[in-house]
Amino acid sequence: MAEDMENLYQERLKRYTTAMRNEKPDRVPIRIFAAEFAAKYAGYTSQEVTHEYDKAFEAVRRCAKDFSWDATVINMVYVWSGLVDHFGQKYYKVPGIELPPDVGFQYFEPADEEGAFMKEDEYDALIDSPTEYLANIWMPRISRNLVPIGTPNTFRNNMAWLKGGISMMAYFGACGEAVARLKSECGTVSAIAGIIKAPFDILSDKLRGFRQVSIDVYRQPDKVEKACEALMPYLLQNAMVTSDPTRKVPATVWLHRGTMFSKDMYERFFWPTLKEIILQLWKNGIQTLWYGEGSWSKWLKYTAELPEKSIVYHVDKEDIFEAHKQIGDKFAISGGIPNDLLAFGTPREVKEYCKKVIQTVGKDGGYIMDASAIIQSDAKAENMKAITEAVLEYGVY
Amino acid sequence: MGENRDIYKALVSLKEKEVKSLVSQKIEEGMPVDDIMDQLQEALIEIGNRFEKEEYFIPDLIYSGAIMKDAVALLGPLSDDKSRSSKGKVVVGTVFGDVHDIGKGLLVMILSNAGFEVIDLGVSVEPKKFVDAIKESGAKVVGMSCLLTISFGAIIDTVNAIKEAGIRENVAIMVGGAPVTDLVAEKTGCDYYGKDAFSGVKFASDVYAK
Repeated sequence: MAEDMENLYQERLKRYTTAMRNEKPDRVPIRIFAAEFAAKYAGYTSQEVTHEYDKAFEAVRRCAKDFSWDATVINMVYVWSGLVDHFGQKYYKVPGIELPPDVGFQYFEPADEEGAFMKEDEYDALIDSPTEYLANIWMPRISRNLVPIGTPNTFRNNMAWLKGGISMMAYFGACGEAVARLKSECGTVSAIAGIIKAPFDILSDKLRGFRQVSIDVYRQPDKVEKACEALMPYLLQNAMVTSDPTRKVPATVWLHRGTMFSKDMYERFFWPTLKEIILQLWKNGIQTLWYGEGSWSKWLKYTAELPEKSIVYHVDKEDIFEAHKQIGDKFAISGGIPNDLLAFGTPREVKEYCKKVIQTVGKDGGYIMDASAIIQSDAKAENMKAITEAVLEYGVY
Repeated sequence: MGENRDIYKALVSLKEKEVKSLVSQKIEEGMPVDDIMDQLQEALIEIGNRFEKEEYFIPDLIYSGAIMKDAVALLGPLSDDKSRSSKGKVVVGTVFGDVHDIGKGLLVMILSNAGFEVIDLGVSVEPKKFVDAIKESGAKVVGMSCLLTISFGAIIDTVNAIKEAGIRENVAIMVGGAPVTDLVAEKTGCDYYGKDAFSGVKFASDVYAK
């Protein structure tokens, strides 16, 4: 790697990690999570980047270079259709197959109990042995190609497991190379490593479905609670083994359903196991990026229970200034630039908003520039440029 | 009604078993089906009020919907006898390319409970389907759901299709969903941003009250 690129990378890594530790770097770091925006900017359809991950990686590199991002994710269009297709997975809808070519991949929520990937009477099986349950019952149910244990084996079943495994190796191997190229060609940091999901979100998103779990919390609350507890060690382990071995960039928790429940339900089903995962990671030196979709402001007092610097608090739809007031002394904050502004505002409006955020939330460091939500192709390129300009103009300490 | 408000109270408190046994019991005792339905529907309205006061949340709405469905099933064909006056027609769908349906499903449920006749077009609805449904039904209100920022373009396409069909003046357009804001509603040419299903009901009621 060229020396100047290495220097640029090291400078950016320092800037990014310093801000995430809630300290003051040389300037506000720009860390953008761009999905279909990157594809459109590079001249690809969503279909292309979903089916060919090399194009997705390349699109991100184009953006990282052109917009001078300090850190980004090598591919936010994370559902590679090859992997999904080998299993014949049912819960993702993919552009160019079940969706138009220019929209993003989407999760398809089961409509009712009949369609649920985990049935209402299967809690005990999940609680007794999550791995057995997932491999033997859940996997065949979410897949068109796998057959359930106890039924006659098929060639397609064998090939699906084999090709699924090969696909996973191929994709994650390519991810490693993409991280290296992002560094050597753009001097940009791969922003995150390690996936965390709240146990309740796994139950709600991938197993029972939100509508079913909403009924379960009334009909069989003890089992819902036990299921979250049973899933917790697996999700912790998953985060541990996928995290950054150098402990520099955070693991990310993508939070979904917690905001939709009452205080009592949040306290009982959502928070305890999520908190435990974050605490355990922090004990191992791993910071968590708290990526709460929607507004998590009503749970700030719980989030504030976490140890200082253990998380970076990302702001989606809540008031970023209020969040900063309440927890800014404990945790760094990221995001908060509204996506509707990026889609419909002018560069001048975007710049003004960024300036306001930098000068209040980022006043003493501890702020990482990003949009509120992952950026799709609705965002205008000139508005993305305005973000960078605002940081360079107002974000130098 | 005094002494017979038990069904209402049980449903408002989300007591599933109690609602079921009370409905069965009242049918046995010969309570008019209309009275039972009134209590159930009034309970749903009260649950909506509590949702707006943040005493109840989305899962509570979903659960109340499930209890209601079972209760109505107990009434069986009896409940069909009651001719309920429709407050008006509303066309509802998730915009083209977007397959999210939880929010849209809630809007359909809450509008129906509030007495509207809902034409539910489902998810990933092409603009032309919205136009056809508005024309066929004569609905004065259309509600679009959108869960991804990438779908903002589909809202614009739908509004444009409605304009091109020459029916924009006949129909009030509301839009909702997680990434939607007042700015999105304004820039896509909609008339109203509904932050939740209940604001959608209020908007539809206002349109039909004019």
